[in-house]
Amino acid sequence: MSEPLDLSLREQAAAIAGGEVDAGELLQACLAGIEERNPALNAVVETFPERSREMLAAAPRGPLHGVPVVIKDEWPLPWRAQRFGAAEMLAQTAPGESGPYRALRDAGAVVVGVGNMHELGASSTGNISVYGPARNPWNAERCPGGSSSGPAAAVAARLVAGAVGADGVGSIRYPAAYCGLTGLKPTFGRAAMAGHHMAGISTTIVSGALCADAADCRLLDSVLFGEELRAGTPEGLRIGIVRSEVSEDVAPAVGGACEGAIEELRRESGGTVREIELPELAAATLATVLIANSESLGGVSVERLNHLDPELSPIGRGLLKYRVLLPAIATIKAEQVRTLARRTLARVFEEVDVIAWPTVPAVAPPLEAPLVELPSGALTADEANVRGGALANLTGIPAISVPVGSSEGLPIGLQLQAAWGQDELLLDAAEALERANGRRWVEALPPAARGAETLEA
Amino acid sequence: MDAPNASDDFIPAGLAAYGIEADEIELAVIGAAHQTFWPPILELLQLDTSQVPVERNPDLSQAPPSR
Repeated sequence: MSEPLDLSLREQAAAIAGGEVDAGELLQACLAGIEERNPALNAVVETFPERSREMLAAAPRGPLHGVPVVIKDEWPLPWRAQRFGAAEMLAQTAPGESGPYRALRDAGAVVVGVGNMHELGASSTGNISVYGPARNPWNAERCPGGSSSGPAAAVAARLVAGAVGADGVGSIRYPAAYCGLTGLKPTFGRAAMAGHHMAGISTTIVSGALCADAADCRLLDSVLFGEELRAGTPEGLRIGIVRSEVSEDVAPAVGGACEGAIEELRRESGGTVREIELPELAAATLATVLIANSESLGGVSVERLNHLDPELSPIGRGLLKYRVLLPAIATIKAEQVRTLARRTLARVFEEVDVIAWPTVPAVAPPLEAPLVELPSGALTADEANVRGGALANLTGIPAISVPVGSSEGLPIGLQLQAAWGQDELLLDAAEALERANGRRWVEALPPAARGAETLEA
Repeated sequence: MDAPNASDDFIPAGLAAYGIEADEIELAVIGAAHQTFWPPILELLQLDTSQVPVERNPDLSQAPPSR
């Protein structure tokens, strides 16, 4: 058998349940691995071995009994308030049992550390954090993606086999794509959300799993959903594609890999590919940002804004202040765009089962200057990434990023989106893609993981 | 001669109206954000949505009830 740390999430769970792996030894090995390999990545910002051992000692014989996982710095733990990657948050926080924590605990999992994240969840890159940026295990000078940067980097480097992130505007899918992982943004409201500082306020944020492959995501998301996400085999999958900037203003290597993967998925499922129209797609991007911004203004006061912690980055401070200037009428229009986009999608999903386009238009950019070069010119990664990531958050539909290729030694991700409640179909489609490409991309390991081999296009 | 940039007035005036202080670096960040967001916001405001009722408290876990 492989080293326990090298096993997938489901294999670790099965090996512990079958008595082949001792959960205490796995926890120890996991902590040792974090101590040894995390300093180069800064993926895990805090461990608490005694708390983890206590969790293990009390762990019920659930589906993740004894399995170590990382949770993003967006969720409180009973012994630690979330910091949201920032020196200061405008929301009140305190240690406590978040929904994801309870779900993990009740499944027998062991929270082994807190994952880094982009400051205030405000970027798709992960290059700014109060802890310093997490680094991409494929290339430490590249962005790991954000805002769930640490969870993604930790899983990609095989420090743990699974991590819990959060996705308000693409924040699970961007790092999944940059780090070569599978990441599911669940249908709004389906996954555990209690205890989040925006629970009951945000209409875009969800919790979700980041894992090496779809079967591991299925297991961890089943825990977060509180229900088994049953596996199936998609047959005759109707795949919708969009001819717009999300599929056309992309780096050629990304476009080619994603087109190839869509054709593989079509063949594997005996399905069809057809073009669809999403007239609100461009407006949906801005609408999502406006709605997410307006929902986060509750904790704002002039007094707070004038006395922000100087350790907050200048970008963080400036953006917090700029939010106040955004006009209310634009947010009302954004809500109307949401209505239109939801109606359009409801019609589209009568004709297709999934919609496919690249998760992000280019591979992970440099940490020092997160710009991407696209056919239309150079753009900030955030401007480019949000084009394809926002629609699912605006409308509530589920979306998944699946690794489908590489360029410059960095992973490429394909995004699949489905109708409300069709999270299982996305996992099924992701597994079909894995079968179609011989699991080549989900089994590729970055240099920062033990036993790594170079990723070749 | 360059045309005057509307944000040259909008940002300081807007911040001042709220009594929000910003240092030079923060103003540069706000200016950059404004350059990114304002043109599409103006486009959004041009959108004729007079026939589009807003979904009140939409159930985002499901498709909209009427299409």
